[in-house]
Amino acid sequence: MLGVKHSPFSTNPKQLDPILAAAGGIILGKDREIRQSLACLLAGGHLLIEDLPGVGKTTLAHALANLLGLSFSRIQFTSDLLPADITGVSVYERQSGEFRFLPGPVFAQMVLADEINRATPKTQSALLEAMEERQVTIEGETRPLPQPFFVIATQNPSHQIGTFPLPESQLDRFLMRIELGYPDRGAERALLAAGGQRASADRLTPLIAASDLPRLQAEAAATHAAGPLIDYVQALVEASRRDAAFQHGLSPRAGLALLAAARAWAWLDGRDMVLPDDVQEMLPLVARHRLRSTQGTGMARSEDIAALIRAVSIP
Amino acid sequence: MGLIAELKRRLFRWQSDGSAPLRLTQRRIFVLPTRAGLLFFVALVAMLTGAINYNLALGHALVFLLAGLGLVGMVHAFRNLHGMVITPGRCQPVFSGDHALFPLQFSSDRAMPRLALQLQAGADQPTVTTAVAAQGLAEISVPVTTSRRGWLELPRTRLFTTYPLGLFVAWSYLQPAMRCLVYPRPRASPLPPLQSAPRAGEQHGEDGQEDFSGFRARQPADSPRHVAWKASARDGGQRPLLVKLFAGGAQRELQLNWSLTPDTMTVDTRIEIIAGWVMAAEAEDACYGLRLPGREIPPGSGDAHRHRCLEALALYPE
Amino acid sequence: MSIRPTDALERGATPWLFAAALATTLPHFEHQPLWLSALTTVLFAWGAWLWWRDERLPGRWPLALLVAIACGGVLFEFRTLFGRDAGVAMLVVFMAMKLLELRSRRDATVVVMLGYFLLLTHYFYSQSIPTGLWLLAAMTLVTAALVRLHGGAASTPAATLRYAGLLMLQAVPFMLVLFLLFPRVSGPLWGLPQDAHNGRTGLSDQMAPGNIANLALSGEIAFRARFTQPPPARDRLYWRGPVLEMFDGKIWRQQAARPRPPQIEALSPPVAYESTLEPHQQRWLLALDAPGTLPVDLALENTLTATARLPINQRQRFSLTAILDYRFNPDEEQAVLKRNLTLPPEINPRSRALAESWRREESSPERLVQKALTLFSGSGFSYTLQPPVLGENPVDDFLFVTQRGFCEHYSSAFVALMRAAGVPARVVTGYQGGETNPVDGFVVVRQSDAHAWAEVWLAGRGWVRVDPTAAVSPTRVESGIAAAMPDGEPLPALIQVRANWLRTLQFRWEAINNAWNQYVLGYNPQRQREFLSRLGLNDPDWRNMAAALGIICGLMLLAVTGWALYRRPHLDPAARLWQKALRRLARRQVNCAPWETPLALVRRLEDERPDLAPAVMEVADAYLQARYGDQPDQLKILRAAVARLP
Repeated sequence: MLGVKHSPFSTNPKQLDPILAAAGGIILGKDREIRQSLACLLAGGHLLIEDLPGVGKTTLAHALANLLGLSFSRIQFTSDLLPADITGVSVYERQSGEFRFLPGPVFAQMVLADEINRATPKTQSALLEAMEERQVTIEGETRPLPQPFFVIATQNPSHQIGTFPLPESQLDRFLMRIELGYPDRGAERALLAAGGQRASADRLTPLIAASDLPRLQAEAAATHAAGPLIDYVQALVEASRRDAAFQHGLSPRAGLALLAAARAWAWLDGRDMVLPDDVQEMLPLVARHRLRSTQGTGMARSEDIAALIRAVSIP
Repeated sequence: MGLIAELKRRLFRWQSDGSAPLRLTQRRIFVLPTRAGLLFFVALVAMLTGAINYNLALGHALVFLLAGLGLVGMVHAFRNLHGMVITPGRCQPVFSGDHALFPLQFSSDRAMPRLALQLQAGADQPTVTTAVAAQGLAEISVPVTTSRRGWLELPRTRLFTTYPLGLFVAWSYLQPAMRCLVYPRPRASPLPPLQSAPRAGEQHGEDGQEDFSGFRARQPADSPRHVAWKASARDGGQRPLLVKLFAGGAQRELQLNWSLTPDTMTVDTRIEIIAGWVMAAEAEDACYGLRLPGREIPPGSGDAHRHRCLEALALYPE
Repeated sequence: MSIRPTDALERGATPWLFAAALATTLPHFEHQPLWLSALTTVLFAWGAWLWWRDERLPGRWPLALLVAIACGGVLFEFRTLFGRDAGVAMLVVFMAMKLLELRSRRDATVVVMLGYFLLLTHYFYSQSIPTGLWLLAAMTLVTAALVRLHGGAASTPAATLRYAGLLMLQAVPFMLVLFLLFPRVSGPLWGLPQDAHNGRTGLSDQMAPGNIANLALSGEIAFRARFTQPPPARDRLYWRGPVLEMFDGKIWRQQAARPRPPQIEALSPPVAYESTLEPHQQRWLLALDAPGTLPVDLALENTLTATARLPINQRQRFSLTAILDYRFNPDEEQAVLKRNLTLPPEINPRSRALAESWRREESSPERLVQKALTLFSGSGFSYTLQPPVLGENPVDDFLFVTQRGFCEHYSSAFVALMRAAGVPARVVTGYQGGETNPVDGFVVVRQSDAHAWAEVWLAGRGWVRVDPTAAVSPTRVESGIAAAMPDGEPLPALIQVRANWLRTLQFRWEAINNAWNQYVLGYNPQRQREFLSRLGLNDPDWRNMAAALGIICGLMLLAVTGWALYRRPHLDPAARLWQKALRRLARRQVNCAPWETPLALVRRLEDERPDLAPAVMEVADAYLQARYGDQPDQLKILRAAVARLP
C-alpha cells in the first residue's frame, strides 16, 4: 500500500481487493495487517502473528481461510500437547488387525497454530518440520500435506509466563511476522457496537477457489524486480550483517524471502514491478524475527530496522 | 619523537572517522618511497652515470624508462588504495591476552584487483595482508593484542600497500568507530560447591511438573519404571525398549557468587576466577547463575548465557 | 639470520626471479669466457634444484668460497676486477649467487635491481634494434617479477605479465620526454677503461697479403654517406684510408705523419656529403677522394688522409666535401718522392729485373704505368678471395707463379714494379664503391668494400690514382665485389644476395637500422640542441631545460594520476536524470535523503511543498518506470519530466 493520495502504476486488476474488503469488514481497522497477511500467503510463506491474546489473531486466520476457500483447522497449543496430537497417530483396528492412520489437524490447507509458544519445543518442532517440508513422516511413512499449505501461527509475547519462545532457527521458517496491536478508537467502538465477531468470520463464504491460489501465487512471483531493486535488497541484507545492532545478519534465505514478500506486496497493489517502497514496507516484517538484537536477548527492535533502512542508500 | 607525534596528530586529526562506510579519497592517501625505492633511485643515478660515460644512447633510454616506471609505480601504489570502500564489521568478543579481531570489509568497484593490502593497528601490532578481487569484496580482521578486560577501541590503523613495484608505499590511516568486548582471562580454579538441590523445571513455570519431552533408547542403568512399555510395543515389538524422557528435571544449578572469591585478592583477579568458573561450568554443561555486586544474572546455560555472564564480568567496574 | 614471516620470500615468486635473472644474464654468455658461463649455469641449476626440492639454501661459508673462486677466476681472466668486461662478469656472478640466497623479500629486491643493472650492461656490446627489443622484453619480465613479488600468490602469471606490460606502457611517454629533453652531457666523464671498445673490425695501419681479403669476408657496415646531390658514379667512389709508403718486401706500413699540408687544386666543383662512421678505433676518417674543406676538429695529412684528433670509438657523423677531379701535390718534396722509390734490397729480384727491363725500353712514366696494367689485364691473372700462399719473395711469387690474388696483391705488386721502374708510387688503402640504399638514399659502405689501390707521382700532375685491380677485374670497381667474384667464392651471405626481394628486404632493414643509428643512437648533445632550436628554444641553458622537463613530466604524472583516479560513472541514464532532478530540487531547499524513496519524497512534498509536488510526482513516476519497470523507452518521458521541473 503506497499511500492513499498517490499510488501510481496500478495497471493490473487488483484481484484480491474483494477479499481484503471482506476481511476488513470482520477485523475492523486492521486493513494494513490483513493486506500484509495476504501478501505473506501469496508469497507462499507461513505467517507468525505475535500479540497479546484477544486482539483478533484467530479471527484473522479464520477469515482468510474462509475467504480463500481453504480447508481450515485450528490447533490450540498447550504445554501437554504431544507431537502426535498434531501429525496424527496410527490406531490398531481390531476388525482388520492392522494399524490405521488417523491424520492429525495438520492435514489441512490452512492450519492455525494458536499460541504456538505454549507447547514444548519438541511439539513445536513437529509442526515446524511439517511447515518446512510440506509433508509429515510418521512411523517411517511419509505423507504429503494438502496443497496449498499455510500455517498461521500466533504467539504471545515471550515475556509472558509459562511459554517456550520459538528457537531462533525455527523463526526463520516463517516468512513474515506481524503484530496486530490494539484497534484504534473508532474501530474499537464499532467492534463493541457489533458484538462478537467470531460468528461473522464463520459465515464468510469463499471469494476465490482454493485451486486459483497457485495461479495467483505464480503471477505475484512474476512481478518484475529490476536490477537496481535486487541491488537494493542485497545492500540491505549486507548492511544487516555489519550492523552492530544485530547479533547476526540476515541469511541468504532471508534475502529471498524479502524479495518474494516485496513482489507479492507490489502485486497486491496491482503493479507489475517492485519498487523500493515495497522493500522498505516488507523489511520489518521479514527481518525482525530473523535478527537478534545485541541489546538484551530479544529479537531486533523496530527502531533498529528503521535505522538499517536509513543506513542504506537506494541504488 | 614528541614533535613528530604532535605533527602526526595534527596532520591526521581530521581522519578520525566516526561513521561507516568510508571511501578512501586522494586526500587521505599518502605516498612515500620505500627503502627499495631509494635503492632504485641510487641504482638509476649509477646507471645514468654509466650511460653517459660510455655514451650509450640506449642506456639513457633504459634509465629514463626505469625512471618513468618508478613514477608510474608511485601512481599505481596510490591507485591500489584509491576509491576503496571500507566498512567496519562486528567484532566477536575475545578473552584478554588473545588477539582481538576487528573485521573490516573492503570493497572495490574497479576492474582490476587490489593486491597486497596490509593493515597494522599500531607499530607493535601484527600486520595482516589481504587482497580484493576486481569488483569484489574481501573481509580481513585486524588483530590487536589485548591485555585488559572491557571495551577495546580499534586503535588508529594503518592501511598500506607497496604493490605493484615496492618502490613506493601508499598508506592511509583508518579509525572507524569499532570496539571489541574483551572478556577477562579465565583463571582456572575449582568450581564452588553446588548451592541448591536439584529443582524441577523452574523455568517452565507455574505447575512445576516434569514435562514429558520424548523417548530414547533404554540403557542398562535405566530404571524399569521409566520404560515406556506402550510405545515400545508398537511395530510388533521390533523396537528396542524406550525410556520416557522428562524435560527440566535433574539439572543442577550453580551460583557463581562474587562473595565466594577471597576478598583479599584484587578485583581483576576475582573477576578472572569467576570467569574461570563460568568456563568450567559451561564445559560441564551445568546450569549456572552469576551474582556480582549490583548485578545478577539468573541461572541458565548455553552460548548466549555464557556471553551475558562474561560480558557482565568484562564490564564490571574496576 | 631470522626473517619476519611477512618478509619471508614466498615460494611462488622464486621462478619469476629465476626467469628475470636468466633473461638478463643469458645474452652475456655470447661474449663472456666459457668457464664463467658454465659456472653461472651450474649456479642457476643448483638454485633451481634447491627450489624444486624445497631444500635449505647453502650457508654463508659455501657462498663465500664460491665468491672467492669466481673473483679469482675473473681476476685471472681479465687481470682486474674492475673495468667493463670484468665488471660485467662480476655482476653476472653476483646475480647467480644471489639466487642461492633468496630468503627474504629484500634478497628478491636485490635480484631485481641487479637485473635492471645487468640490462644496461648489454648495451656495452650492442645497441642494435634487436638488442633493444630483447631488453625491452627482458625488462618487462624483470618488472613482472617485481610485481609478482609484491602482489603475492593472488597475482596470476598472465595478470602479472599484463600488469607489468601496462606499467611499462605507461612509462614509455616519460622515457620519450626524458630522452629528448633531459640535458645531455657528452661523455666520457672519466677516462674509459682500456677495454671499453674492444673487438671492432676495420682497416689497419698496415697491409700484408690476405689482410683486406679477410676484411672482405665481413658484411658489416663501415660507414654510411648521404650526398646532398645524387651520389657520384660508383667507380669514382674511392674512400681514402691510410696511405702506406714503407715496404719491407712483404708488409706495407704507414709513414709517420708530417706537418706540411697537402696542396689540392680543384678541377671540379666540390660535392658535399655527410658521413656516419662506425667506430673503428683509428683516427682516419675514410673521406671521399679528395677531401675538400674539413670541419675544424679534423686535420688533413700530407697524404690526403683526413684524421680526427682522437680515435673514433663511437659512431660519429661528419659533414664533408669532396673534389672528385683534382691535382694533388704536383710539387712534392724530394724526400717524399725518394721514399716512394725505395724497395727492400735482395727481395723480389725477378720483378725488379722485369721493371728494370721496362725502364730500359720506356722513359715516360705514363707508359710504364700502362705497361704494368697491360701485364695484369693479360691472360693468366685472376681476381680471387682465396689466393695461394706466397713465399719469401711475395711479389715475385705472385707475378710469376701464382698470378691469383686480391686487391692487395695487385696494388702491392704494381707499386713494387713502379718503384723498381723509377716511378714514385705508394699503396692507398680504403674503401671503394658503396651501395645506394633506395629506401633512404644513403650510400652504404661495408667492410667487404675494403680496397687497396695505388698512387703514382707524375711530374706536373702530382699524385695520380691507379687501380691495378680495375685492370684485372673491371667489374670490381664498377659493380662491387659481389659481381666481380665468381660463384663459389666464400663471400658473406649478406653481400652475396642476388634475389631481388631479399635485396629489397635487406635495404629496408638497413635503412631502419640507419635511421635508428642516426636518430636514436646518434642523439647527442649537438642533436639535442638542433632539436630544441627546431622547437624554438634557441640555445637553452640547462636550467630552462630542467624546468621544461619538470613541467612536462609533472603534467604526464597528472595525466596518469587522473587515469588512476577516474572511476567510470556506472550510473544508468535514468539514475543520472533523477540525480539531476534532485540537484534541481536541492536548489529549492528540497533535499532527499539517500534512503528516501521517490514516492516517499512525493508524499512528503504533498505536505511540505504542495507547489512542487505535482511536478516532482511526474518526475518520480517516470523515473520509477524507467528504472524499476520493464517497459522500454521510458527515458524520453523522464527527460521531458525533468525538463519541466521548475
